[in-house]
Amino acid sequence: MERGCGGKPFLLAQKKRFSPTNTMSNTLTKGQLIARGVLSQNPIFKLALSMCPAVGMSTTVMNGLMLGIAVFFVQVFSSMTISLIKNFIHPRIRIPTYTLTIATWVTVIDLVLAAYLPAAYAEMGIFIKLIVAFAIITMRLETFACKESPSDSFFDAVGMGLGFMFGMVVIGFVRELLGAGTILAGTPIAIEVPIHPFLFFILPCAGFFVVGIMMAFFNWIEAKYNEGKTSNE
Amino acid sequence: MKQGAMKDIFMIVIKLTVTCLVAGIIMGAAFLLTHDAKEHNEQVRDEKVMLSILGYDKANPAPKTLALNTIYRYIVTRGETQSIGYVLSTETGTQFVELDLEGNFLKAYPISQEIDKLRKESDRTGAVQALISDGEVRYADNFIIAVNDGKRIAYILDGKYPGFKASIRVKMALDKNLSMLGFEVLEHEEDPGLGAEIKQKWFRGQFEGKSFEQLKTADVVKTPIPDDYRNAITGKIKGEEAQNIRAKHVGDPIHALTGATISSRSVLNGNKAMVTKFAYRIDKLDKALQQQGIKTPF
Repeated sequence: MERGCGGKPFLLAQKKRFSPTNTMSNTLTKGQLIARGVLSQNPIFKLALSMCPAVGMSTTVMNGLMLGIAVFFVQVFSSMTISLIKNFIHPRIRIPTYTLTIATWVTVIDLVLAAYLPAAYAEMGIFIKLIVAFAIITMRLETFACKESPSDSFFDAVGMGLGFMFGMVVIGFVRELLGAGTILAGTPIAIEVPIHPFLFFILPCAGFFVVGIMMAFFNWIEAKYNEGKTSNE
Repeated sequence: MKQGAMKDIFMIVIKLTVTCLVAGIIMGAAFLLTHDAKEHNEQVRDEKVMLSILGYDKANPAPKTLALNTIYRYIVTRGETQSIGYVLSTETGTQFVELDLEGNFLKAYPISQEIDKLRKESDRTGAVQALISDGEVRYADNFIIAVNDGKRIAYILDGKYPGFKASIRVKMALDKNLSMLGFEVLEHEEDPGLGAEIKQKWFRGQFEGKSFEQLKTADVVKTPIPDDYRNAITGKIKGEEAQNIRAKHVGDPIHALTGATISSRSVLNGNKAMVTKFAYRIDKLDKALQQQGIKTPF
């Protein structure tokens, strides 16, 4: 049977309830949880979630990195919160609870950064406000955090956050290189590449092309890797 | 079964209410705890931006004699007629000087508080409203007159104008002849990689040094910016050589950002409108103050 939060079944008036401790099904180690988020279940290249903001904001390495960092923190805090209160959440109102949790963390992080880290806020402020409706965060809360222990949720969130950041930086790298002919423009270590910039790569539609080609590339690597593993056996 | 469903609905309502309350309390507490620090940071940032567009930085700090006089502009509505009022500091204390729409002097009211104590918008508007018993006052904007050794050196304006999708908020500095000293983009929502490039130094730098007339007649062209001009603006070419290149190109039209002609044009038109309106206002205000013999520190 499909389970809701805290392993409770979705049916409204089901008599028999499962205690949450029995339903934790995670068998992966901490390292595997993190590696899974970055590689085999990368949010962008494998799960294809949060495509809209990913494609919209990944025009440069810096933009990608900033959005990645912002998502990372919101993901970690939200996953931990949901995992801690999973037994309190009624299965019928899981999604509103997730949205409220994410919105609360987004607001708190936004305010704290503005107050105590103004330099970081000047760079990241606009990205943090975008996050509330990110599919990747809601999806991790629904499929992982609301069933598993806080420590496992933490490592899952770290993995997914890093995976998203990695994807954004890689896409940003390709788009900035081909679209503007620079790498890390606006930073002290900016590099100008002597190619004629191809504006197409900055436009949102090209983001999808880049993501598509990257997906194919990562799938190809995975296929090769698995092939190698089976032939060794 | 029915009873169970009722109980479930109650639980849903209660749990959702509690969740909302807790979220609200957390957000409210975070706001209260961070509010003062945030406001302080914004003020610090504002001052830093102001000094940087005036050309001062760590290597070249602002002189101690530099004074920034803020003037707040208000719109006064009495029935059908409108007039403009300015809160400014004079040698006899803070005053609210009211002009009609043609720029003729109407009346000057003294305000008992010092102008530095009127930074908060609510305090200031309250003080002004107390003077105008027969009308409504509405805060419009403010500008700053930078004075060094008793001489005006620059004007600093805050402005907001439409960009490609949303408003662009800028801070701009003009010298005493209303030539552009520079401007800084404070807030915008242009597309990343396209219109967002209005923040780039080479784009903004094209405005620097343009006289009032040059700015008013400037247009946006789609041809790419000449390499020497770009390098002179971004500091790759330094010293006298850069000055000469910039002087040669200062009358050029504005070279648009690639793929963001609308954003480029919005910035040019917005800046034009800001400077034109300001030129008219400061001219009228100066004339009125002079006619009335109101002595000011600027």
